[in-house]
Formats: sequence, C-alpha cells, structure tokens
Amino acid sequence: MSRSKALQYYIITRLLLAPLMLLTITTIVFLLLRATPGDPADAILGGHAPESAKQELRKQLGLDLPLWLQYLNYIGQMLRLDLGTSLTSRGQPVWEVIGQYFPATAELAVCSMAIALIVGIGIGTLSASRPGTFFDVGGRLFGIITYSLPMFWMGMVLQLIFSVQLGWFPLGTRFSSSLPAPVGITGLYTIDSLLSGNFIQFFTALHHLALPSLTLGVLLSGIFERIVRVNLKQTLRADYVEAARARGIPERKILISHALKNALIPVITVLGLTFASLLGGAILTEVTFSWPGLANKLYEAISLRDYPTVQGVLVFFAVIVVVASILIDILNAYVDPRIKY
Amino acid sequence: MTWFSLSVRRWGRITKFLSLFCLCLFLVVSCGTRQSTTTPTSTSSSANTTTGDGRITIGTTQKPRTLDPSDAYELASLGLVYNMSDRLYTYEPGSTEIKPQLATALPKVSQDGLTYTIPLRQGVVFHDNTPFNAKAMEFTIQRFIGNGGKPSFLLKDVVDSVKATGDYELTIKLKKQFAAFPSLLAFSGVCPISPKAYEIGTGKFKPNIFVGTGPYKLANFGPDSLRFDVFDKYWGDKPANSGINLQILSSPANLFNTFRTGAVDVAYLSLEPDQIRNLEESTTRGDWQAITAQGSVVSYMVLNRNQKPLDQLKVRQAVTALIDRPLIMQRVLYGQAEALYSMVPTTFNVYQSVFKDKYGDGHFDQAKQLLTTAGFSKANPAKLQIWYPTSSPTRALAAQTLKALADQKMDGILQFEISPVESATFFKNVDQGLYPIALLDWYPDFLDADNYIQPFLDCQKGSDAKGCEEGGSQNEGSFYYSEAMNKLIAQERQEQNPEARKKIFAAIQTLEATDIPYIPLWQDKDYVFARKGVSGVQLDPTQNLIYKTIKK
Repeated sequence: MSRSKALQYYIITRLLLAPLMLLTITTIVFLLLRATPGDPADAILGGHAPESAKQELRKQLGLDLPLWLQYLNYIGQMLRLDLGTSLTSRGQPVWEVIGQYFPATAELAVCSMAIALIVGIGIGTLSASRPGTFFDVGGRLFGIITYSLPMFWMGMVLQLIFSVQLGWFPLGTRFSSSLPAPVGITGLYTIDSLLSGNFIQFFTALHHLALPSLTLGVLLSGIFERIVRVNLKQTLRADYVEAARARGIPERKILISHALKNALIPVITVLGLTFASLLGGAILTEVTFSWPGLANKLYEAISLRDYPTVQGVLVFFAVIVVVASILIDILNAYVDPRIKY
Repeated sequence: MTWFSLSVRRWGRITKFLSLFCLCLFLVVSCGTRQSTTTPTSTSSSANTTTGDGRITIGTTQKPRTLDPSDAYELASLGLVYNMSDRLYTYEPGSTEIKPQLATALPKVSQDGLTYTIPLRQGVVFHDNTPFNAKAMEFTIQRFIGNGGKPSFLLKDVVDSVKATGDYELTIKLKKQFAAFPSLLAFSGVCPISPKAYEIGTGKFKPNIFVGTGPYKLANFGPDSLRFDVFDKYWGDKPANSGINLQILSSPANLFNTFRTGAVDVAYLSLEPDQIRNLEESTTRGDWQAITAQGSVVSYMVLNRNQKPLDQLKVRQAVTALIDRPLIMQRVLYGQAEALYSMVPTTFNVYQSVFKDKYGDGHFDQAKQLLTTAGFSKANPAKLQIWYPTSSPTRALAAQTLKALADQKMDGILQFEISPVESATFFKNVDQGLYPIALLDWYPDFLDADNYIQPFLDCQKGSDAKGCEEGGSQNEGSFYYSEAMNKLIAQERQEQNPEARKKIFAAIQTLEATDIPYIPLWQDKDYVFARKGVSGVQLDPTQNLIYKTIKK
C-alpha cells in the first residue's frame, strides 16, 4: 500500500474510532458523576430546603428515574447533539454555557501555548547550542523548575509581584468592569477589539490576558524546553551535521537551518499531548486569576453537582483533545516521512 | 520556500524583530493601561452604556447563578435582584420592620387571618415600559409558585390563591394562617416582573435577563462582570450614582488584593476574617473605610438526638455548658461576630438570651459533672464527632477550637473528633442523620423570628421514641420532636397580635434551651469596605448592599 493510501486509511480509522472513544468517555463521566457523593438537589437548594422541595426538584430534573433510564436519556440527547440544560443556571442550555465561557479559555490557551512554544523552543535551542556553559545549566534548571512548580503557586507569586507590588497588571478577570467588553463574532476579546478597531479595548484585553497566559505559558514551556534541548543535542552530533561543518557552513546556519528543524519534529507530538495538560492547567490558572473560562465553570459545576454542565463540558473538552490528537498525527505524518502507518 | 529554509540572517532578523516587538508590547501593556475604577474616555460604538465618572465599581466573590427572581435563592442572585427591583414591602436599613414599597399601605387582613388585601402604587413602569398593576403582580406571584424555582416552596406552602381584585388592588388567600406573611412579600424574589418579558410554566426560567421596576436596569451580564444602568423612568428617588459595575472575583484573596490595589471602589462579600481584620486595622491610614452592620446570619451546632450518646439530655447539656463563645469570637472570628444565645438573632425584639442564662460559657466543671452523672469517665469517655463542610474555614477553626477546649479542660471525659466533608456531600448527609454534631449556618429567607424557629424545630411526623421522621428538624439533622414545640409554633404562626406573639416566642426559646436540639453560636456582622471618597454605603437587614445610595 502506498504511503498516502496508508495515511488515508489511518485517518479514516481514527475518525471512525473517535465516536467510540467519545462514547467511552461520556459513559465514564456519567457513571463517575453518579458515584460521587452528594446530590444535585442538595447542592442546588442547599441543606436547609425542605425535603418536599428537594423531591420535586429531583423529579423535575429526572434524577428520580432509574440510573439506566437516565443513561439512555443522556445518550439519546448526546446523539441529537443536545447537551441538556444547566441545573444551576436553570433555563440555560449547556451549549449556551459553553459558548459563553469557551472563548475565554480558548484565548488563554492559544496565548499560553504561543508563550510556551516561544520560550520553550528559545531556551531549549540556546541551551543545546552551548553545551557545558551557563546557558546549558540555566536551561536545565529552567526546565526542571517550570516542570515542577505548582500552577496556582506560580500564579499567586506573579500576582503578588506584578499586580500587588508593582501594579503593572490586574490581579485577574478577563476585562475591566468599568469598560464595556468587546462584542464580536469570535468571542476572543483581543481579536474582536482589533476587528472593531478599538485599541483601548485591545490593550485592556491584552493587559488582563498577560499575567494568566504568562503563568500557564511559562510553566508549560518547560516541557518544550526539555524536548528541544535533548533532541537538538542529539541532532547536533549527527553525521549530516558533522558533514555540514566539514563543508564550512557557519555554525548558526547549521543550528537553525539543519539541526533545529529536525529537532522540532517531536515537539509536534508533544504539542498534542500538552493540549490535555493545557486544559487541565487552565482550571487552576482560571481559578487563581478569576478568569471566566470554561475550566473555571467546570470547577463550579462540579461543586454544585450540575450533571449536565459537567458532562457537556467534559465531552466538549474530550472532543477537542481527540480532534487535536488526530490533527497532530496527520501533521506528523506529513512532516516526518519516516513515520509509517 | 518553507519556514525552515529561511537563511540564518533572516532568522536572526525575525528573532530580533519578535524580541523587540514583545518588549515594546510588554512595556505598553504593563505601563499603558493601569487599572482604574473610573473611565474618563468614551469607548467603542458597540458600547451600550455610558462609562463616564460617577459609576461605582463593586468587587465581590459572589457569582450570581441566575437573575430570574423566581429561581434566585442565594445571596449572590438575590442581592442583584434586590437592587434592580422593588417589592411590595421592604425594610429600612438597620431595622427588621417592614414598610410599604410598591404597596401603598400594610395589608388589610381578614378576620380569619387568611385573606390579605394589598393596595398598590400607581404610575410605576417596568424596565420595558410595561405598566405595573395588580395583574402584573398576580402574574409575578403565580409564576413564582408555578415555575417551581428554588424558592417557590416559600409561597407554595402558604398561598392558596392570588387575584387582582382591582387595577391596583391585590388579594391573596392563604392555605393556613401565617402572621409573618407580609415579611415573606419583602423577599427579593417576590418582586414584580414584566409579564411581557417572562412566561409561566414549570422550569421556564430566564437566568440572563431581568425586567423589573427597580432603580437600575441590567445593561450587561457577563461571566465575570455585570453592568447596571440607571433606569430613567424610575418612580422613586433616583440613584446617587450613574451606574454600577460589578466585578466578580474567584477568591477572597483576589477580592482582598483587588480592593487594596484600588481596582474596585467597594468590596463586599466574601472576605475571610483575617482579611477583614487586616483591612479594618489599616483604615486608619485613610485609604479606605469599613462599614459594619449587624447581620442576620446565624451559626449554630446541630445535635442529633438519634445518635448515641447525644440521645441523653445530660450529654447535650454538657456540650452546651463547655462552649466558650467569647473565646470563639476572639480566636476564630477576631470580634467580627456577636455571641448568640438563642436561635433567634438579637436583631429581633423577641430575642431572649436563654442559653446564656441557663448554661453560660465555658462551664467546664458543670460539663464534667453532667457527663459523670450520665455515666462517662476518663476510662469511658463520651466520644463525639463534629462535622462541617470544607468550604467554610471559619467553621473549621471553630471546630478545632472546640476540640482543643475539650482536650485541655475536660480531663479526658469528653473527646471531640473533627471531620471535614465536601459541601455537597455534607448537605446530602445532614438530613440522613449521619452526623452526631454538625456546624451549620442559616441565611434567613425573610426577616421574622418564625424563620429562625419553624424550619428548625417544627416536625410534621414523628414520635418521642423515633424522633422526627418528616419536617424541619429532620431536614436540619437534629431529629428533634416535641408536641409542645409543634403547638407553640402553630400558635405563633396564627397570632396577629405582636405582644402575644412575643410571649409565644419566649416560651419557644425557653423550651429550645431546655431540650437543646441546637446550640446557637454566633451571629455574623456584615462588613463592607469602601475606598476613600465613596459615601452612602449601606446594607439592608437581609445582607443586601444597597447600590442606589452609593456615590463618589
């Protein structure tokens, strides 16, 4: 079978397996939520509401039905792409909740990933190209420290330094409440404000985005730094690099044009894996910085046992991770001709 | 040509450009737009609100779940509904007495105490310009009951029918006598809403809009901020400010720091006791001011009579005697609360300090004697678990303080074991009777002493042997059952004469202190912090921050 056909076959297989994977995830989420102690009626009404009110709420929400029937209803809804209605913001469909909160998470994720890539690849390259020097040791330390630092702790330290002490950045939130938030089709404040040509809004959005994305980005950059440093060091010892040196090609050109692009291939794979960490890390970053994203909403929904919202958001995250991993696999196949399927 | 095939020189240029760009951007972003509570410049054309001076920015950690008044039951939602609405009756700040707001007088009550006739104000319009009248109020109450929202049980259990008996006259018939009914009409959720904007039907809620008659209308409801504009057709006194921006923070630490850095004008709910102490101590510098008000929230201990050894009155008495409220006020709450000696707070004139008179504070010898009489000793100690939800650091500290007290002062006759549990699980288990002792607090639904008594002590079905099987005390986890108490509660609910009612409440409090299903601990004080130059900050007795009087 030719490589392109094998790749097509692989993509189709992955796409066909994706619904099965999502069904497994949704089932696990459904069962785990029901196994968690606590009851949405208690969480929503509070402990003091009369039992009759709780019973009525359970009936309204369909929580009085047998578990298998609840599961069938849930799967039926999923097949119709209906994620249900939030139990806490009653009357609001979960899709609307996702639409309301996801842009904030997406903006933070994209910005953090950009910072992680720039910082990680930059420091990794610098470290690998100067073995045994201060840059090498510094790069190693940077990788270990950023990899091991807790996200919330780093966030709070940055808040204390840059917001409380220096007053350079806001402590949190996505936008200043004293300004009307940008309105636009993307929901990404930086993009929407630019599209509407409002630079005050753009800089305000950027000002608010800086610290949370820096926290998440710098902490994730450690992963890329380590991979780039290790791979680049190996590549720089490869025969074709030696051959290039023998031909008198300048070291910088060898590094950037020949070695780095090969060393970056594993970064693409890790990029996909980091996506899941990014969404996980987003919960802590969003809570620390009062960032009104979907991860923060998920945390809230879990506390309130808002089953439809938790299920909907997790399935949505799962879809993102599955799609991202498929795309990364495809990209890998195109970039690296050695990969076989 | 691909990115990788660019020459070294071009890569160098790109790197330099990017570095310079990032540096410039960092400088512009960090130095350019400092956080400010005022917005001197006008903004985009998409803005649907004015952002000039005179707007007040309030910081809070209380995120509203919904703005639909028929489903709003938490402080966060009710506080906003309160400020965007009017009720038939309301409270004067600092008082628990109701006064008419959209009603023009107190209700006329029929001889049998079942029919309430309420005259309504004319010339009031909703935010969507629909006129307010008795039909709109009828619609509101029917929707409140019919849609089955969180607080619907408040009226559902009481109201039989509601009818507009004139353009501006409303008649409400009750299922049973309930003397505190007018106070129930002051509940923020029972505010008139435009019949054009809402509909009646189970579960038909509109969580993201609000169309009422109050001094502010909703301009924007975002995930982390809300904006309220002044309603220019408001019938009453106009607000002292030109609008409110509400900034929602995810943690007390963020609220504390946001206020200290001047990003919000007012900080209200919820700061931790040590943060309040810090801000209160530094008010002398003059950067901000602290406004305190007596709160209506009570914290208490539930004693489950169905769990051994709490089934013995002497053990319950011993636990009551050893509690040292002044110590808890000092060590746990830094003086930010008032010791409470009845389940009814001191704000009500029916309050009696029954627990102080009967048991006092920190009477360890008495406690030891009671436990010894009950058959406990150092070799055979009374072991009790204290449970509390993890979401409350204050209750965690209170539990630890009580444990330390028992360990140090009770010579091993009494042993407390403290057990934190996640909130949703905690509330699930309280009414199942799983906890011998639980630490809880109570946010009143309406301001009447009945609301601190009936939900805790009333029992519809039960016996002396089994305790309460169905009713308030089962729901609250004490499983208290007393025929005498049930009768007293029924009497106070029927009695319209305030003096006679006061006597009944005195008897109820005495009986409660004798049987000890609950031990009152403290009554919160509410704290608001406002930056220098901000004035008119007030709280109503139901813990709502009053927006319209704030100015700067």
